[in-house]
Amino acid sequence: MADVQDGRTSSSCYLDGWGDALRCYRIAVGLDATAVELSVTVAPAVNDVGREPLYLLAGGPGQAASDLAPLLNAFRRINRERDIVMVDRRGAGHSAAFRCGFERDMPVDLQSFSRQLARCYLQQPQFAEALSSRQAVEDLELVRKTLAHERIALWGGSWGTRTALLYQQWYPDSLSALVLDAVAPIDTKVFLTATAAERAMQILERDCAGDAVCAGLGNWRGDLDQLLAGWNAEMAARFPDPVTGVPAAIPLPRWALANSIRAALYDPAAAAQLPYAIHQASRGNYLPLSGISGLFLNTADGMAMGLTFSVACAEELNRITAEDVVADSKGSFLGSAFYELFHSGCQGWPVTAKPYSVPESRAQPVLLISGEADPITPPYYAEQALAYLSRKQHLVVPGGGHINSRRGCIPELIARFLNAPESPLDQSCVAEIRRPPFMADAFGPALGGKLGGEPQGGGL
Amino acid sequence: MIRVESVDKQFAGRPVLDNLSFTVPDGQITALLGANGAGKTTCLRIITGLLRADAGRVLLGDIDVAQQPMAARRQLGVVGDREGLYERLTVAEYLTLFASVQGLAGKSLERALDAVREELELDALWLRRTRGFSQGERMKVSLARALVHRPRHLILDEPTRGLDVLAARLLRRTLSRLRAQGTTILFSSHVMSEVAELSDRVLVMAAGRIVGGGSPVELMRESGCDNLEDSFVTLAYGAAAGRPRQEEPA
Amino acid sequence: MNTVNAIFTRQMSALLRKEFLEAWRDRRALWMAICFSLLFPVLLAGSTIFFVKKHAEESTRLALLGGEQVPVLAQQLRSDSLEVVIVNEGEPRALLADGYDLVLQVAEGFVDGYRNFRAPKLYLYVDSSSTSAGRAERHLQERLGGLQQLIVSQRLSARGVAPQLLAPWQLQVRDVSTPSSRGALILAMVPGLLILTLFVASLATSVDTSAGERERLSLETLLLQPLPGWQLISAKMLAVASMGWLGALLAIAALVALMPLMPLAELGIQQATTVAGVITMGLLLLPLAMLVAVVQILLALRSQSFKDAQTQLSILQLAPVTLLMVLDMSRVELGEPLWQLMPLVGQQQWLKALLVGDSVSLPLVVAGSLVCLGLVGLFVALGARALRRESLLGAL
Repeated sequence: MADVQDGRTSSSCYLDGWGDALRCYRIAVGLDATAVELSVTVAPAVNDVGREPLYLLAGGPGQAASDLAPLLNAFRRINRERDIVMVDRRGAGHSAAFRCGFERDMPVDLQSFSRQLARCYLQQPQFAEALSSRQAVEDLELVRKTLAHERIALWGGSWGTRTALLYQQWYPDSLSALVLDAVAPIDTKVFLTATAAERAMQILERDCAGDAVCAGLGNWRGDLDQLLAGWNAEMAARFPDPVTGVPAAIPLPRWALANSIRAALYDPAAAAQLPYAIHQASRGNYLPLSGISGLFLNTADGMAMGLTFSVACAEELNRITAEDVVADSKGSFLGSAFYELFHSGCQGWPVTAKPYSVPESRAQPVLLISGEADPITPPYYAEQALAYLSRKQHLVVPGGGHINSRRGCIPELIARFLNAPESPLDQSCVAEIRRPPFMADAFGPALGGKLGGEPQGGGL
Repeated sequence: MIRVESVDKQFAGRPVLDNLSFTVPDGQITALLGANGAGKTTCLRIITGLLRADAGRVLLGDIDVAQQPMAARRQLGVVGDREGLYERLTVAEYLTLFASVQGLAGKSLERALDAVREELELDALWLRRTRGFSQGERMKVSLARALVHRPRHLILDEPTRGLDVLAARLLRRTLSRLRAQGTTILFSSHVMSEVAELSDRVLVMAAGRIVGGGSPVELMRESGCDNLEDSFVTLAYGAAAGRPRQEEPA
Repeated sequence: MNTVNAIFTRQMSALLRKEFLEAWRDRRALWMAICFSLLFPVLLAGSTIFFVKKHAEESTRLALLGGEQVPVLAQQLRSDSLEVVIVNEGEPRALLADGYDLVLQVAEGFVDGYRNFRAPKLYLYVDSSSTSAGRAERHLQERLGGLQQLIVSQRLSARGVAPQLLAPWQLQVRDVSTPSSRGALILAMVPGLLILTLFVASLATSVDTSAGERERLSLETLLLQPLPGWQLISAKMLAVASMGWLGALLAIAALVALMPLMPLAELGIQQATTVAGVITMGLLLLPLAMLVAVVQILLALRSQSFKDAQTQLSILQLAPVTLLMVLDMSRVELGEPLWQLMPLVGQQQWLKALLVGDSVSLPLVVAGSLVCLGLVGLFVALGARALRRESLLGAL
């Protein structure tokens, strides 16, 4: 079923996570080795009243905008009067995903991971070299023109905020407003995650201590440090696989354990289980910790590793010094576990460095959203590194993890911001978003007992 | 000239007209006199073509009413018994409609309208809608409508019913003038005085037949009475008395 | 020949003028047509606005009986749409009568049972005869379901089980409706109502011009004019149809004008009626308006009196709506081309498509309209014959 919209041929299509039909476009970009037919998906406005469309930019780098389709459920109100456009950037999703054979699981063996990456690079070195934020922004601008959108609003999530901020630098006139959730400012070295993760863990500690039931789990934070410090081959071999229930084929290395605990901090529902799981692990029961790692089994699903490394190595790892790593890791539970993965990967991914210039001041209205306990893009990134933006508002979700656009009243606030970007938002409802209840025991959360000192209000 | 030749008409098996024949000469006013139920209205409706005769025929001049109804209707002006006007139309609109339907247009339409407006003294009514008109006013409008296309034959069913003196006088004047112009006029009535006053010739009708005819004077002479009413009773009921099933006059 | 034509058109236009003047000067009939035409769009818009407002704004009051033992449960259930009040004592029935939409009773020893995996009971008291019961239950289920999922997930994690083991597959629902076709749900009754409007708006005029004229004894005068019967019927039919058509056009205009006020977008419905669509709707109703008019006139001419005609036509106006409802319920494939040739059904299908912004097949519309006009011709011929019936005059 093809029809012609705005002079372009589109077809009706679907994306997982959203039930309604969408319009799909194919737009050719690049030449020769870098030629790709970009996949552009539009969720048409229910009533087109001529409002600027909202483009969604995905994270990673390596995630595809089409994986953000479930977000349309939260953005229903925005979608009533605005087209929502998802452009899979080159090398991601339906735009010739550059996966390097990593379909599902994140690697556990660093060396074989690096070897596989290096082989993958050699197969398409030109393509790998060309993938960059600059390329993504140029492609996006081409899509904007092709779809005849005069000006657009951008929603960026995680690394998508970096792309959005760069787009704002390079094409300020094409842009009406920015919504940045989990902000990765241009000058911030977001691949140094140990300090941010440690801070998120400390906020979890604080909130747990304020909760009568969680406080009963004792010094779980001390247990965590001991567990990681004393992690050995015997313990690693006993760590069960969350899917099969038996110990995994490859024993879980310490860096992977630390990373999976870090990953749990992304999501408050998983984080709420950490104190109990760590408490149990320190007593020899690894099942809860294994179960939590099972929550993130599919996260690597949409991540195109080739794209991730092309961008990360050329735009982030290139500017991280050994001193940076030491300073960041110091006093953190994570150490350099996250960095090591990328560092070793970039050894076999020799793309040229693509440094950014110093950001120039910009006046577009910007809505910043941060999770208070985000282990990778904490609120202080948005507060410290965006002085060049003259009109910004910042929503900080208490106890929030990574990406908060779907939670509580945030979708409503985004909709209001887009309709009146200049007016300050009434942020009072953000405080009502709360952590899910902490896990108390094998039965789950305690339903009885005393409440913590937190305010009453909704939000699972 | 109107000729009714051997017309029979039954309603639901009941004979209403029985081998009816008579002639209405040009330039005269002929009255069809009969009691209620004598068949006057049915007879007039067959002449106008509204009803079809079971047998026999009606000629308007040379035109057979049943064979050439459209041609017949152009030769006819009819004023029905208690007929209704269009209450939401003005007199002017009403008369324009019928004049146009009769084929008048342009100058001739205007002339025809002006003529009836003057003849029937319609100036004061001309732009009024006909709702709420008195019986006399309604008669004037109906008569104007029947005359607007200058028909050669004029048929009136109980035209004087409910008229005041002035209206009745106007009607009389108008009919006299038309007679003078050679129009064939046939009207029905059951009121002796107006028949005596208006008509040149009277046809007495009873039980669907003509039972006597002639000028009022001739009729009185024929029946041996000294007034028209007695003549009528003698002619109508005397004749009916001989029939096996006699209808009670209303 | 030219003279004949001139007379023919002159006569016909004089006649048309008379019928239209009479129809349009009938204030009562005109008001009836206008009022009914505006009535249903206003009702439809009003009820949609009311429904959405109620749906969006109403929140549920839940009494948590025995809730003092489970403060976390109470806290987790609370949301913008669910107000949770912990009640220590009370009788569920009395609480429901006291302004609570739901009463959730926590069984004695719930916390112990929960901690020991004994699946303790929650009793939900609901008055299902209350209009808010369904909404209230939905509000509670949303929260309770979410909490239940969270607990199950925590319990599985505690045992080292990845929660996705509970989901052997993912069902992805793909809705093939379009935002405009979803409007069909709300607009489904509109074609039927538009057709009903045709009937109702032309009813008074059709009775007036037929049975009314006869009763006022002015029909006879008309029959005495040198006019063929089909011209008389056609002129009357056109005047009556104009009234019905006006009503339907007014209803369409009101509906389209009111659509922006209806919160259709909140229901995921696109307002897709185009200007061309509205014009097409108006045009395709014209042959039907003529058919309805001529059928009404025929029936009214057959009736015994003015009153009788009104009664008969009132019953007649229910016929199309009933017919369309029965056809709809019988799940006959009305989209089939053959069905679209049938008057009423065809117009209903086309209106339905145009209202939601779909296109209609021009050849089918033309063919269906021709069928309709053919029937109009047939009924005009029948009407002309009816005018020659002697019993029409009510003489004897």
